[in-house]
Amino acid sequence: MRKLQIKNLVVLLCTSLTLCLMSMAGYAQSRQITGTVTETNGSPIPGASVGVKGTSIGVVTDVTGSFKLVVPATGTLSVTIIGYASQEMTLGSGSVYNFKLASSTSALNEVVVIGYGTAKRKDLTGSVSSVSAETIAKVPVPSLENALQGRASGVQVTSNDGAPGGNTTILIRGVGSLASGGNNPLYVVDGYAIDGGINNINPSDIATIDILKDASSTAIYGVRAANGVVIVTTKKGRKDGGVQVTVDAYNAFQTKPKQYKLLNAQQWATLANEIADADPQHNFQEFPAWRDPASLTNVDWQDAIYQSAKTQNYSLGIRGGNEKVQSATSVGYYDQKGIVLNSFFKRVTLGSNLDYQATKFLKSSTSIKYTYQNSNNPYGTGALGNLTQLIPTLDGGNKLTNQIKDGNGNYGFYNPLNTYTSKYNNPVYSIENNQYKNIANFLLANTSLEATIIDGLRIKTFLGVNNKSYSGYFLQPEDTRAQTQYGPGAVPGNANYNQHINSTFDYTWENTIAYTKTFGVHSIDFVGGVSQQEITYSSMGGSGIPPNSSIRDLGQVTNLQLDRYGNGESIYALQSQYARLTYKFTDKYLITGTVRRDGSSKFDKGHQYGVFPSGAVAWKAKEESFLKNVNWLTDLKFRGSYGKVGNQGSIPGFQYLALYASGSAAATSGNNGYPFDKIFQPGIVQTQPANPFLRWETDYMTDFGMDASFLNGELSLTVDVFKRRSKDFLLTLAAPAQSGYTFLTRNVGSMENKGLEVALAYNHTTRDFHYGLNLTVSAIRNKLTEIASGTNAVTNFGGLGLTGIGWSTFTQTNIGQPVGEFYGYQSLGIFQTQAQIDALNASAAAKNPSNPFYQKTATAPGDRYFADTNGDGQVTPSDQVSLGSPMPKFFGGLNIDLSYKAFDFNAYFYGVYGNKILNYQQSSLQSFQNRGFVGVENVSLEYFQNRWTTSNPSNVFSRATYNDDAIGSNLPSSAWIENGSFLKLKNVTLGYTLPKSITEKALLSKVRVYFSTQNLFTITKYSGLDPEIGVQNGNATQNGVDNGTYPGSRFYTVGLNVIFK
Amino acid sequence: MKMNKKNIAFIALLTALIMPVGCKKDFLSRDSSFQATADATFRKSTDVVALVNSIYDGYQNSDLLKKSIWYYANFTTHDFYNYGADIAWNNYQINSDFGALSTFWNNAFITIARANAAFKIIATAKENGVVTAALADRLTGEAYFLRGMSYYYLAGSFGGVPLELKSETDGLTPRSSQDEVFKQVVADMKQAETLLVSKATLDKKDLGRATKGSAYAYEGAAQMWLKDYAAALTAFNSTELTSNYHLLPNFADVHEFSNQNNDESIFEVQFEVSGSQSWDGGWQNGGEVAWIDDFSWPEEISNFGYDYANPGLWYSYQAGDKRKALTVLGPGDQNISPGIIAKWGGIKGYPAVTGGFANGDARFKADDGTIINTCGTLTKPWYGVSDQKRSGYYNAKKWRDPQLTGGTGSQIIFGSQNQILMRYAEVLLSRAECKVRTGDVAGAMADLKIVRDRAFGGVAPAVMQDGLTYDGKASTPITDPLQMVLSEYRHELTAEYSVFYDLRRAGPGVASAFIKAAYGTDATSTPQPYPYGPTADGLLHGVWKTTLPEGRDILPIPQAAIGLNPNLTQNPAYGK
Repeated sequence: MRKLQIKNLVVLLCTSLTLCLMSMAGYAQSRQITGTVTETNGSPIPGASVGVKGTSIGVVTDVTGSFKLVVPATGTLSVTIIGYASQEMTLGSGSVYNFKLASSTSALNEVVVIGYGTAKRKDLTGSVSSVSAETIAKVPVPSLENALQGRASGVQVTSNDGAPGGNTTILIRGVGSLASGGNNPLYVVDGYAIDGGINNINPSDIATIDILKDASSTAIYGVRAANGVVIVTTKKGRKDGGVQVTVDAYNAFQTKPKQYKLLNAQQWATLANEIADADPQHNFQEFPAWRDPASLTNVDWQDAIYQSAKTQNYSLGIRGGNEKVQSATSVGYYDQKGIVLNSFFKRVTLGSNLDYQATKFLKSSTSIKYTYQNSNNPYGTGALGNLTQLIPTLDGGNKLTNQIKDGNGNYGFYNPLNTYTSKYNNPVYSIENNQYKNIANFLLANTSLEATIIDGLRIKTFLGVNNKSYSGYFLQPEDTRAQTQYGPGAVPGNANYNQHINSTFDYTWENTIAYTKTFGVHSIDFVGGVSQQEITYSSMGGSGIPPNSSIRDLGQVTNLQLDRYGNGESIYALQSQYARLTYKFTDKYLITGTVRRDGSSKFDKGHQYGVFPSGAVAWKAKEESFLKNVNWLTDLKFRGSYGKVGNQGSIPGFQYLALYASGSAAATSGNNGYPFDKIFQPGIVQTQPANPFLRWETDYMTDFGMDASFLNGELSLTVDVFKRRSKDFLLTLAAPAQSGYTFLTRNVGSMENKGLEVALAYNHTTRDFHYGLNLTVSAIRNKLTEIASGTNAVTNFGGLGLTGIGWSTFTQTNIGQPVGEFYGYQSLGIFQTQAQIDALNASAAAKNPSNPFYQKTATAPGDRYFADTNGDGQVTPSDQVSLGSPMPKFFGGLNIDLSYKAFDFNAYFYGVYGNKILNYQQSSLQSFQNRGFVGVENVSLEYFQNRWTTSNPSNVFSRATYNDDAIGSNLPSSAWIENGSFLKLKNVTLGYTLPKSITEKALLSKVRVYFSTQNLFTITKYSGLDPEIGVQNGNATQNGVDNGTYPGSRFYTVGLNVIFK
Repeated sequence: MKMNKKNIAFIALLTALIMPVGCKKDFLSRDSSFQATADATFRKSTDVVALVNSIYDGYQNSDLLKKSIWYYANFTTHDFYNYGADIAWNNYQINSDFGALSTFWNNAFITIARANAAFKIIATAKENGVVTAALADRLTGEAYFLRGMSYYYLAGSFGGVPLELKSETDGLTPRSSQDEVFKQVVADMKQAETLLVSKATLDKKDLGRATKGSAYAYEGAAQMWLKDYAAALTAFNSTELTSNYHLLPNFADVHEFSNQNNDESIFEVQFEVSGSQSWDGGWQNGGEVAWIDDFSWPEEISNFGYDYANPGLWYSYQAGDKRKALTVLGPGDQNISPGIIAKWGGIKGYPAVTGGFANGDARFKADDGTIINTCGTLTKPWYGVSDQKRSGYYNAKKWRDPQLTGGTGSQIIFGSQNQILMRYAEVLLSRAECKVRTGDVAGAMADLKIVRDRAFGGVAPAVMQDGLTYDGKASTPITDPLQMVLSEYRHELTAEYSVFYDLRRAGPGVASAFIKAAYGTDATSTPQPYPYGPTADGLLHGVWKTTLPEGRDILPIPQAAIGLNPNLTQNPAYGK
């Protein structure tokens, strides 16, 4: 009974203290005291242990945080509870003792959830960052990922766009894979390992998030561990017999985002006229209506698309129970309207945790989380980039109106016959007339049965399911308005109905055995287990022309096109064995060994299994005699670990098999068939060659860490340095066609990340005043060390749809350099005179008579001047160079908590330093031509006013031309590379907790109201709307490119937290 | 004791639970349900046929056919020029990163790989009785033919290329010499000759498949590249060619839309439309089921006009040569394609013309004020709508599909006209060259006469002589036998897929000298005003006179291919 689990501490204390109290009745000097234990903001802390040091006298606080205790005349009163820094007071003559406890997320005593178990932070040998519920609650965020930003060192969280439910990039200890989607961490929710993110979980349900970073802590997750593991634990019930009902609610108002300053109709037409007049050959024939700028009606597309928006969030939680049964139930509703017309994200969450101690030795735990999500983002990232291109007038289009939408419900459209206008659509029309639905349901349920066979020996079976389903459609009604007005020359907008459903059924069965035992100065903690997981994915979908805009039934469409591949089912499975042993000697020296053997169906027989071992040591230096009496040092521990972990996340199944596929029908893309005598016959081709040696990506990680705390724990410092070597990326790379394939999936390359992580916390509490500072800073250096043989660089995988000549490659990763460096020409400014160009052409002709041009044949003054970096006299693609890295040199967060009596205040900053952004959007704002197409587009006011002309010889802005593709001023170049460093004030909250005198009357134990703002300001030199730009499409080679992302904007939030008695 | 019993019970229970997890066999063996293995796939003869169909599929590609083989065959000779994005071809400044070359390279090698992979599967299917021996032979022959033909166009265009002959390769093989590749073409065609069916016994439903005759035609052509003219003659004299293929009596019929897969055609790439023929149709799907002939029509008709002819080609036709109006249209010329006349009444029926004429647009009026029915007029040549940078002369061989309207009217842009790569007239002309080379000048003249008689609609003039020189001067009779053959290659086959290949095949310097003689090429690399005729207004109308530079008679190896296979070397005229 002496080796108590922390979890049980509360209950056991309670029991034993009751006995103590009875036996104390006879002490003459004893007296009764009372008091409360609250958080620094005044919230009651139930379940805290209050006791007299050195005695067995103690009690547990009740639901209101109050306690009564009979104590001796002298002594020291102490309060302890998990999650808070312990506090002591000397017993004096007073009879009321009120404690305010500071949260102790960095306290070494906290319990950390690690894979298949828990550990006290002070006994950790690996590198684990933890984020508490309290921290998460500070910022009203829609998704948990956002709540982690800046909170954990070594974890870079970037909001990819500001769309409701928008996705987030999480990189734990840098980029370890070049594969698309290859850098996602593994998430484990209440013991269940899930693929994908966790934005379907209600942040209010979270008790803790623990982030496993080094190989020692992650290796127990084997082939899925290379990118770190995020362990999410939801709130459980209580053992103290009480019931706590909490209500959290907030309403937020989101402002319109910052907008680009563009030309209005008059300015636009003036520019168009100028360019048309400057073109003697009339290659650019402007739309006639533009000839009279004053007559044009201006339309402001940004104003029409962007809006202010409201978000509301409500959570209700009931948590209670006794020693036998603990239950937690919660309901959440989140509804965010987006700042882009018709975008929204709604989520309903239902959660239940039930823990049942059936007998002394048998315990069951059940966790059920259900989420309904409905979201829509009809005009998001990518599409928004096109918004600034739209010509700012609709004159000459719809004969009924030249407005975006008039009072009669008519929508304007662009002239459908003119080459320069016909490609543009009215996005408001599409957004308001297209029908969308995107519904997702998530059910994560698991239950376990644990038996304590003898003291310290536990055996457990765990069964869980994770069911995700998605259903959605898109219906674009037929649009014949242009054809009605302009006849057959105008192409009608065809109707289209597209419907998809898919579901993932995923189950896991795990059986573990754990043994914890202390023999004198030796302690061991062992866990071992076996597991199997099977994931069945099935989907169906297709599209066609619906009979009208009401029928949403694929069975009634014409030209039905079912999805090519994917109308069916696929299964993938994992089978694993694992073990971890920690040995502790004299509470000073710890050693941990972990191994997992993982088998994955993604690989060929004989190559399915991988073994992932790791080891770690820790030295608790403070326990040594020579430091025992160093008072300023509260704790000091050194850690070191090394291990091997795997990554198979990005690879689809069956890549190891030689597979054949029949082509699609004659009319669809990529048909492999061929007509004979004009009758199409099907074809069958091998789609991929056998690749039996395909294997997971492997990471080797080394970590050295130090945990120290000072000043009685008020100041704590954790420092880690690490090296992560990743190799054998599972990449589908361009292959020589002589192999029979233009792309082949192979294991190639290697990469290295070296990093330094620092977490510093300081908390100080006086009677009424508390302040706390939390700082995390991380520096990670990434470099590619090897790539496919014969090459020393790879360009971006995927294109992000950046149109314009030269934009298919915008990053390049070179051996010895970081992943995804921007790649293009070095801009030297703007050509000012023809003489300057002639001189360069002359020297080019001397070196290469057959092509006597320095840059382009059509280069003229006002065009961008690029560097001939290789000195061959000409600017050719081989003059492109790396232009900077999207990876920051440092990133981090600073959290400031202050409270004074009933007021609490939080300010939270997040920043990155030393990264570059490729501002594609800016290049578009400086291009009159609609690059890559025959067409023209709107430009920025700044460009219009400052562009190069003979009277305004700018060296920054090129001349305006209708044919930038030929001129090339807008090629990817250093002109579009900007400093991406920023510091954002992510959150400011001011809260007030109503006095007890008021709340007690209303039978409430706590009422707190707060006001907060998010994104109050950003300090940055970046010229675009928002410098926070993540890895796009999950692909580390396309990081930091601003192609018109859905911008973030400011929120103003009013919220209420209520705890009922 | 009670406790212990319970404990034992739990141990037993949980041990039982643990057992199956570790023991279940084949938990990790799953079947691919979206694509199948070879074993699961080739269980029916139609599947094996489908495997071979997919080899042909490699050629249904506009970048490969039009932007690579056709450009090379016709732009390099200066008979035609590009308007638009690909004008680098007009002065031989084509870059190794020209995208279509990569498509050509990739598709050709994937075609070769598909053929390499097919041999084993067909053999297995034959062993297993899935296909009959006869079908297996035919399919194997088709695979050999298509591999050989791919190497023929690769070596003809790039010089030597890597020889990949096995079904499993990393694709890192270095280049073989041009001769080695053509030797492989000969070997593959000889295999195909024995295995393929004769055209005489080819089912109608198999029209478009390679025949013994196709193999002999390409074998002969490859032998000529190897300078083995005797062997080439043997191939060309095969009765598979001479008995089964014939010149159509009327030259107009050779390229008529209604006359595809005709008796003269030896191998043509097949197309078929399905669904929309506008931008939202086959083009969106890789251009596989649609062809792009109307891209070359005058912009005034089609809104395109992406390539146009050299006026000098128009002048070079000898008086009375019926091929002229069926090959190149100049100002004042009518489109005389029977199919076009039947559908539209000629040029006057196209939507752009009727619409433009109704709007009073002068471009669509004949000189007498009536609606125009010619390809521009002598007073107002059709230089293009968006600018005046086209020559006013256009390709009549690619203006035959009556369904098409170009980018006007109902936007029927993409058609289904097959593309003839090899026809019997070329075999006859090649045979004539072989005879010249082997000293049989009389025999050569006889072969030439067959082709020329048809061209003149009966009996050709005894003296071969161009109409006018490019600058309007009187021409002189062509009397050198080899030059006679080269001139016939040009006049018979221009605007198809052969001429420059045939000129380069004739030996080093021959093509360059031939083009210089035809068009007076010089050191200029920019367009020059045309010196003669209705378009000689002193303005630039898109005619280049650039001399074919040394070494640029072959194309650059695509930079992308070199990037992926560092063992490839670039052709010297294209730098590193």
